[in-house]
Amino acid sequence: MPDSETLEPTPTKRIFYLTILMGIFGFIMFGKLVFVQVFQNKLYLEKANAQQSRKFDIPARRGQIYVNDGNGAVYPIALNQQLFLLAADPKFIKDPSDTVNKLSRYLSNEETVDLQTKLSNKENRYLVIKKSLSSSDAIEIKNLKLPGIILNSQDGRNYPEGELFAHITGYVNQDGAGQYGIEQFLNPSLSGKGGVSRAITDSLGVPITSNENTIITPENGSDFVLTIDRNIQQMAATAIETAVKSNQADSGSIIVMDPKTGAIRAMVNYPSYDPNNYQAVTAADYFKFINSNITNQFEPGSGFKVITMAAGLDTGKVKPDTKYEDTGEAKIDDRVVNNANDKKYGISTMTDVIQKSLNTGVVFVLKQLGTDPDKITSKGKEVFFEYIKKFGFGERTGVELAGEAKGFIKKPDGYNVDYANMSFGQGISVTNLQLANSVSAIANGGTLYKPYIVDKETKASGEIILSKPTVIRNDVMSRQSAAELAEMMKQVVQHGSGWPARTTGYSIAGKTGTAQVPKPDGTGYEESKNIGSFVGFAPVEDPRFVILVRVNYPRVDGFAEKTTVPAFAEVARQLFMYYQIAPSGN
Amino acid sequence: MSTAAMSLRKNQNIVKNKIKFQTGPVSASLMLIGLVILLGLMYLNQVTKTQTFNYKISNLEHKQGELQTTKDNLSIDAARLQSIAEAKKAAQTAQLSAVKTVSYATPR
Repeated sequence: MPDSETLEPTPTKRIFYLTILMGIFGFIMFGKLVFVQVFQNKLYLEKANAQQSRKFDIPARRGQIYVNDGNGAVYPIALNQQLFLLAADPKFIKDPSDTVNKLSRYLSNEETVDLQTKLSNKENRYLVIKKSLSSSDAIEIKNLKLPGIILNSQDGRNYPEGELFAHITGYVNQDGAGQYGIEQFLNPSLSGKGGVSRAITDSLGVPITSNENTIITPENGSDFVLTIDRNIQQMAATAIETAVKSNQADSGSIIVMDPKTGAIRAMVNYPSYDPNNYQAVTAADYFKFINSNITNQFEPGSGFKVITMAAGLDTGKVKPDTKYEDTGEAKIDDRVVNNANDKKYGISTMTDVIQKSLNTGVVFVLKQLGTDPDKITSKGKEVFFEYIKKFGFGERTGVELAGEAKGFIKKPDGYNVDYANMSFGQGISVTNLQLANSVSAIANGGTLYKPYIVDKETKASGEIILSKPTVIRNDVMSRQSAAELAEMMKQVVQHGSGWPARTTGYSIAGKTGTAQVPKPDGTGYEESKNIGSFVGFAPVEDPRFVILVRVNYPRVDGFAEKTTVPAFAEVARQLFMYYQIAPSGN
Repeated sequence: MSTAAMSLRKNQNIVKNKIKFQTGPVSASLMLIGLVILLGLMYLNQVTKTQTFNYKISNLEHKQGELQTTKDNLSIDAARLQSIAEAKKAAQTAQLSAVKTVSYATPR
């Protein structure tokens, strides 16, 4: 019996071994469960969600852009529009010829080229026929019930005024991103934040009601009202188109500003483009997209003499009646600077310098700024540089438009002759907006405002943010010296090159500039090219507007007085009526 | 105790029969099944109602989208009709001419 006891385990022992075995198995199972549910929880949760739920993007509605209409109302210049993308799956097209015939009335000539051949290629499964199809056309095409034709809706943009505001708005591209102008600069605020909906779906991927469904609602973009007055914009657009055409010029620009706030009332360039059809602009014409008023820097030429004179007057180194002898040339080290017309005017006052635009006169002023009145000194250059910076040159103005250039100013440690050139606007580069803004500071008595184009932002929540004029500095020059300079600039219109702007009953101040164009290789200036500009303001006693006109590469003889002043006069005279400014008899 | 009450007690011959409700396994199962069916019907009713409302909401959202598109298109048409280009055309049709001179009244 003891033998049999040792050979066969007792039931108790069997149960013990089985329990051990089951325990080990249970432990392994438990371990696996912990591994899967704890350590791999995220992975399996994602897999399950991917199978059982779907994510739907909810696009935010893009904000719209408005301008002032002059009577307190606003007018839309950029609106949302549902557009359609017309595409085809050639595999399902039975009769390509018939399809092309039926679609042709909705397509341009370029879009129909080779379309039949492309639709006959059954291997191609997706062919885009037309982007940005209007909703009315899309409905008509849908009703044709053409097999293999696909219509996909997409958010689009419409610019009701076409070319008129193109350089201010820019456009929205196929990807929904703003390009150029306000559309690019304010893209984050305009586009808002898209929302997301995550829903449990059935086997076909159709969302079903569930407590687990989540939604993040989209935050629509802000609407913007600009400081631009569309009537003034139209006046400026007509004037610059006439100026460019009559002078056979390449292009031109106009800015109209309020000198007491820095608000921009009009900003146009010619030629322009239609932002509704920006794709039509060919590569050779890409320059049309650029807002020259803020992007294309230029050497301002004589228009810059007012800045040199401002430095002289404000430092007290010269007065309007300070005299010097104009010999027709000024010696700077081993170089000679001549007047633009190579004439000599003898004894001349500072008012004559501005009125007759004497290069030698502003070099004289530059010399007075330093420690030795007979030559250009380091001190003189430093003072001049300080005034240039005070007027905002060499830095972006910060206007709410994409693509602003900051210009280029040589530092005072350079050559004396460079600074002599700078005193009459050569060897530096500025933008139209910088020049108009600096003259605004002269017009308003010495305060430099930050130019702005956004008047009001209305957020999706209803919150309204009103723009206020921002003073950059109020000590650009004293009120007294600004008034003296304005009076000198008035003489330019009364007796100088600004004479075409003379208007009975109104006092207008301004300064012409005919700038040479540097050669691309830096070896001097182009012989037959110039840039004409005129910047002025009115009425001198209580300035309501500053206007800058610039015409690039005119092909007719004559200086800025011929190429730009008539356009200035045209806009100024209309503004006197528009603003109901009564003549003062001056 | 009053005499009247005593006499009433003596004449008591009322028999009270106690009814016992007893539930066996069959009736318990039937009740459970009934309860489950009832709850199931209530759930189905709620789900159907929710789905109906969902459909209505979806329909209304679709309509809202259509109306928004129509509004957008009408806004564009309105803006285009009020555009300066249209105003120019209208001015030409009506043979309007630009103001040449303006007289201002001066206060005395």
